[in-house]
Amino acid sequence: MSDFLDKVPELKNDFIERLKKAKTPEELQSIRVGFLGKKGKVTQLLKSIGGLPETMRPEAGQRLNVLRREMEALLEERKTSLEAETFLKKERQEKIDVTLPSRGRPWGGCHPVEQVTHEAVEIFASLGFTVAFGPEMENDYYNFEALNIPPHHPARDMQDTFYVENGLLLRTHTSPVEVRALRRWGAPIRIIVPGKVYRRDNDPTHSPMFHQLEGLLVDENVSVAELKGCLEAFVGRIFGRTLDVRYRASYFPFTEPSLEMDVECVACGGENQDCRICKGTGWLEIAGSGMSHPNVLVAGGVDPSKYNGFAWGMGLDRIAMLKYGLDDLRIFFEGDLPFLTGGGQSLR
Amino acid sequence: MKMSLNWLREFVETDLEPESLARRLTETGTEVEGMEKPCSRFSGAVSARIEKLEIHPKRKDLYVAEIDTGTGRAVCVSAASNLELHSCVPYGPPGSVLADGTKIGKREFDGIKSEGMMLSAEEIGLPDVADEFGILKLDPGTPPGMDIRKLLGLDDLVFDLSITPNRGDLLSIRGLAVEVAGIVPGSRLLQTKETFPSVGDWLGDFEGVRLEDPDCSLYVLGYADSVSIRPSPVSSRVRLCLSGMRPVSNIVDATNLVMLSTGQPLHAFDADLLPGKEITVRSARDGETIVTLDGKERSLTAEDLLITSGGVPIALAGVMGGLHTEINESTRVILIESANFDSIRVSRTSRRLSLPSEASYRYARIVDPQKAKPAVCEIFGLLSSWKAARPLGMVVEGSEGEKFPKTVPLEKKTLEKILLTDDQEMASRILKRLGFEEATVLKSRRVYRVPSYRPDVSIEEDLVEEVARVWGYDKIPSRLPLGTREPGDRTDRIRCKEALRGVAMARGYVEVVTYSFISPEMLDKMGVVGADPRARALPLANPISRDQSVMRTLLAPGLLKAVESNLRSGWRGPIRLFEMGAVFLEDPATELGVKENLCIGGVACPGRDYPSPWGKEAVDDFFSVKGDVEALAASRGLDVRMVSHEEPFGHAGQTAAILLEGDAIGYLCRIKPSLQEKLSIPEPVYLFEIDMEPFIKGEPARFGEPFRFPAVFRDISLLVEKEIPSEAVAWDIRKEAAETLSELRLFDVYEGEGIPAGKRSLAFSLAYRSAERTLRDDEVDEAHERLRENLSRKGYILR
Ligand SMILES: [Zn+2]
Repeated sequence: MSDFLDKVPELKNDFIERLKKAKTPEELQSIRVGFLGKKGKVTQLLKSIGGLPETMRPEAGQRLNVLRREMEALLEERKTSLEAETFLKKERQEKIDVTLPSRGRPWGGCHPVEQVTHEAVEIFASLGFTVAFGPEMENDYYNFEALNIPPHHPARDMQDTFYVENGLLLRTHTSPVEVRALRRWGAPIRIIVPGKVYRRDNDPTHSPMFHQLEGLLVDENVSVAELKGCLEAFVGRIFGRTLDVRYRASYFPFTEPSLEMDVECVACGGENQDCRICKGTGWLEIAGSGMSHPNVLVAGGVDPSKYNGFAWGMGLDRIAMLKYGLDDLRIFFEGDLPFLTGGGQSLR
Repeated sequence: MKMSLNWLREFVETDLEPESLARRLTETGTEVEGMEKPCSRFSGAVSARIEKLEIHPKRKDLYVAEIDTGTGRAVCVSAASNLELHSCVPYGPPGSVLADGTKIGKREFDGIKSEGMMLSAEEIGLPDVADEFGILKLDPGTPPGMDIRKLLGLDDLVFDLSITPNRGDLLSIRGLAVEVAGIVPGSRLLQTKETFPSVGDWLGDFEGVRLEDPDCSLYVLGYADSVSIRPSPVSSRVRLCLSGMRPVSNIVDATNLVMLSTGQPLHAFDADLLPGKEITVRSARDGETIVTLDGKERSLTAEDLLITSGGVPIALAGVMGGLHTEINESTRVILIESANFDSIRVSRTSRRLSLPSEASYRYARIVDPQKAKPAVCEIFGLLSSWKAARPLGMVVEGSEGEKFPKTVPLEKKTLEKILLTDDQEMASRILKRLGFEEATVLKSRRVYRVPSYRPDVSIEEDLVEEVARVWGYDKIPSRLPLGTREPGDRTDRIRCKEALRGVAMARGYVEVVTYSFISPEMLDKMGVVGADPRARALPLANPISRDQSVMRTLLAPGLLKAVESNLRSGWRGPIRLFEMGAVFLEDPATELGVKENLCIGGVACPGRDYPSPWGKEAVDDFFSVKGDVEALAASRGLDVRMVSHEEPFGHAGQTAAILLEGDAIGYLCRIKPSLQEKLSIPEPVYLFEIDMEPFIKGEPARFGEPFRFPAVFRDISLLVEKEIPSEAVAWDIRKEAAETLSELRLFDVYEGEGIPAGKRSLAFSLAYRSAERTLRDDEVDEAHERLRENLSRKGYILR
C-alpha cells in the first residue's frame, strides 16, 4: 500500500516539472495525454487500484482523484497563461509610434466675429430678446428717414454711405430692422439684430464692412434703468467679469435721450497712460444707446403715448477685438488661415 | 471744433481745472477728443526792438542787428531780409528753446558773435502766422522784454471737441461758454458789453437789400469805409491758427474771428466791385453760373440760393463768396453780410457741389437768427480797434425772430417714467442754467420757453435729455427689465447656422467672413457672364475700389480669393474654408427688388507641397467633400443627392448639382483646371455652395426602428455602361428587389482587364431583413434569384 501511495507525489512532481517546460498548446496536450489520457500514468495507476486490499481501495481512489483534479487545474492555469503570452508577443510585434501625427482632418475653426455673435445672442436670449433680421441692402427710408434722419440732415455726415446703382444703399447700421420689426410685430417687443453693416471707411480700426448688434425693447413704462441693466449684464457676461462702466450723453437722431456706454479698458484697467487699446483714456466705447425717439415708434406704427422703449447698437468686431486681444480689424475679412487658426495649427 | 481755453475764459468764469472741464464736457455730450498745449516745446523767448541794423562787414548776405531785449542790449546775426530798424521781433536768448526742440546758443559768424537769434513764425511753431518771408514782426510799439508765449497767446490750452450735429450752437466760443455755464455748477457767464454801439442808417447811394426767397429770413448788411488792408495783429493771427484757420488779411480774419466767436458766418464784399446798387437774395436759375472764391466756375440749379447784385451772382448763399467781389489789396469800402439761410437749402448746395465750408457747416446745423446783428457789431468793434476800417452803418432786412420762439412742456410723470425721479425743482434748476425759462409751473407739469439758440429742443423727450445729461446718468440705478412676456428665441436661422458651423468645424473647415462686395473681374475669370443671373451683380455707385465694386451673387469669389491669398502668403498644406452669408440677386418680385439669399459655401484644396506620412489617404477629393456636404445636410435632418451638372467654373466632368427632394439647392464641383491655373493654385480645388433656406426649415432630430432580427447577406455584380450613374443602377435594384431588401451598398467599382470597353462592373452588397421574424436561407435565396432574373430581364448583364 505505502508503495502505491508513494507514487502519487512522485507523479505530481514529474507533472509539474513537465508543465513548466511546456511552451506551446501542443506540448500541453501531450502532457495531458501522458498523465490523464486513456493510457496516461494517472489512469494506469487508477486501474491498478483493483489489485489493492479491499480496505485500502477507498483511500487510494480518493487520493488519486484529488491528484487528477489538481492536475486538471494546473493544466488549465498553464494554458491560460500560455495564451496570454502568445497574444502579448504578437501585440509587441505590432508596436507603433504613437507620436506620429494623426490622420484625418484636424478641428477647423470659428470666425471671431461669429464666435462673439453666438455668445451675444445667448446672453440676450436669456434676457428675453428674440433674434430678428433685415436686409443688408436697404432703401433710404428704413436706413434714414424712418429713423428720424430726413434728407440733408447733418447726421447723415456721421456715416459715409455706400449707394447701389439701383437706388438702394448698403445699410450703415442695424437700426433699420427696428422699424421693420415694429411694423411686423408691434409692441411690446424685445429683439436683437446681429448683422453686417457697411460704411465707406478703410483703416486699421475701420473696415468698409463690419458687424453690429442692435437691441430694441419697447413696452409700457420703460426707463433708462432697464437700458443700463441690459447693457451691464451683457458686458459682465461677454468679458466674463464685472467691469466699471460710465455713461456719456450723446446724440443719435433715433434716440432721445441718447447716451453712450464706455467700459473700463479691458487691457489696462485704466492703469497705463501708454495703452494702445484705450489710448491712455482708460475707457472703451462699447455701445451707443438711448430711449427710442417717438418719431421712430410712430414710423413703426406704435403709439408713443402708450409705449416707450430703448435701443442700442454695438460693434461686434470691436468686442471681438477686445475680447481676444486683436488689433487689426481688416484681417478679419481676408480669410487668413494663420490668423483664424491661432497662428497656423498643424493642418494635415 | 478747436476751442481755445483762454478765449472761452473771456466769456465764462469757472474754477474747474482743464482736465475736469474736459471730463464734464465729455460726460454731458461734447466729447473732448484731445487737449493740446500750443507750441509746447517753444520757451524762453522775449520781445525785442531793433535799435541798430548793419550789413555784416565780411558777409554781404548777413545782417547784424543790435536789439533792445528789455533787460539790456544784444547782438544778433541774421540772414533774414525783412529786418527793419525799430521793428519789434521775437528774440530767443541763449538757453531758450525753439518749437522743434532746438536749444539756442551763442554762435559766431565770421568774427561777429550772435547772442541768440531773432525768430521766424516757423521757429515758434506757427508757420501760418507769418505774413511775409523772414523774421516774424510783432505789432509796432510792442515793448521789449515781454514773454513771447504770453504776448502771442500761446499760454493756452486748445481743446479738440467733437460737436454732435444737433448742437450747432456749440460751433462758437460764446455758445460753448453758455454750455459750460450750464453744465458746470458754480461757473458764471461774464457780461460782455457790446463793443460797438448800434450804428445809424444807411449812407450813400446804395439802394438796399431785397429778399426774394423765403429761405433767407434775415439779411443784415454792415457798411464800412476807409479800409486799409494789412495783416491783422499777431495775437489775432495766432488765435485763428489755434482755432484751425489760416490768417489772410485783417478784413477776412475779422470775419473769421467773429464767426468763431459768435457762430454767425460773415462774408465781406468789396463794395466798389459790386455790379449793381442793391443786393438781392433769390433762387438761382438753372444753368446760371458763378465763379467762387476758390476760382472754380460752378453751374447752378434752381435749388441753390444766390446773393446777386445788379442781376449778377456775387455769392452762393451760406456756402462761399464769389471771386469777382473778393476783398483785395486795393479794397477801400466793404459790405459785410450777416445773414440767416435755411439749413437744408445750404447743405443741399454744399453737398451737390462738394463744396464744404466753415459757413455751410454752421448753416447746415442751424444758425441762431438772434446772432446776426450782434455779429456785425462785434466785427465793427474789431475793425475799429484794429484801425482797419471805419464802420458807418447797417441795414436789417427780414426778421430776427423771437428770443424764445417756442415752449415745451415737461410732465412730472415723464421724469418719473424715464429717469426715475420726481424732482421737478432739480429739473428746473438745470434747464434754467442752460438758458431755458419757466413759462408755467403746475404741480404735475411745467412748461419751458426754449431759447432761440437751441432749435434742437422741440419735444418733451428733448427736455428730459437736457436734464439727464446735466444731472448725470450715473444717478439712475441699473436693473433688468421685468415682465418678459415670452422667452427669448434664438430662432431657427441662428440654430441652423450654429449646427452647420459645428459640422463644418468638426470636418476640418475654418470659418471665414469675406467682403460682400467683389471684383467684377473675378466673375469674368470664373466665366459667370452673359445670361447667367449671377452675372448681373449689382454695382455700387461709390465703391472704394474696383476690387470691391459689385455685390456678390455667389460666395465662390470670396472663398477662391481667400485660397489664393493664403497660398500667396506662404500657407502650405490643406486649405478648408467655409462661409455663411448673403448673396444679392436681382428679383423684381421682392419688396426692394433684390433677393438676399443666405448661403453656405465651402472650399477644399490639398494646398501646396505638403507631404504627410499618410500619403494620399489624407488628401481631399470630390468624394470627401461630397461627404462633407452630406454631413451638413444630415445635421439638419436632410438627405441630399448629387447629379451630374454644369457650372461655368466647374470641371466639365466633375461638377454636380446638389438636389434636395428633386430641387437643385446648390452645386459641388472641382473648379476648371484653367481657372485653377489663372488663380495660380497648384492643386485641384473643390467648391460647394448651398442655399441655406431649406436647411433653416430642417428638422435636426430624426429616429428610426432598431433592427430586431438578423439579416441575411447576398452580393450582386452587374456589368453596365460606363455612362450610367451608379445611383441609377442602385435605384433599379431597389425597385426590382423584394420588400425584405433592407440595405443596399455599392462595394466595388471595376473596369479594365476582363471588362469590355465602355463598360464597368458594379458590385453591391444586399442585406435582406424582416421586421417580424428571422428570414430563412431558402426564402432569401428565392428572393435574390428573382431579383437577378428581374435585372436580367431589364437588360443588365449579371456576372
Ligand atoms: Zn487701456
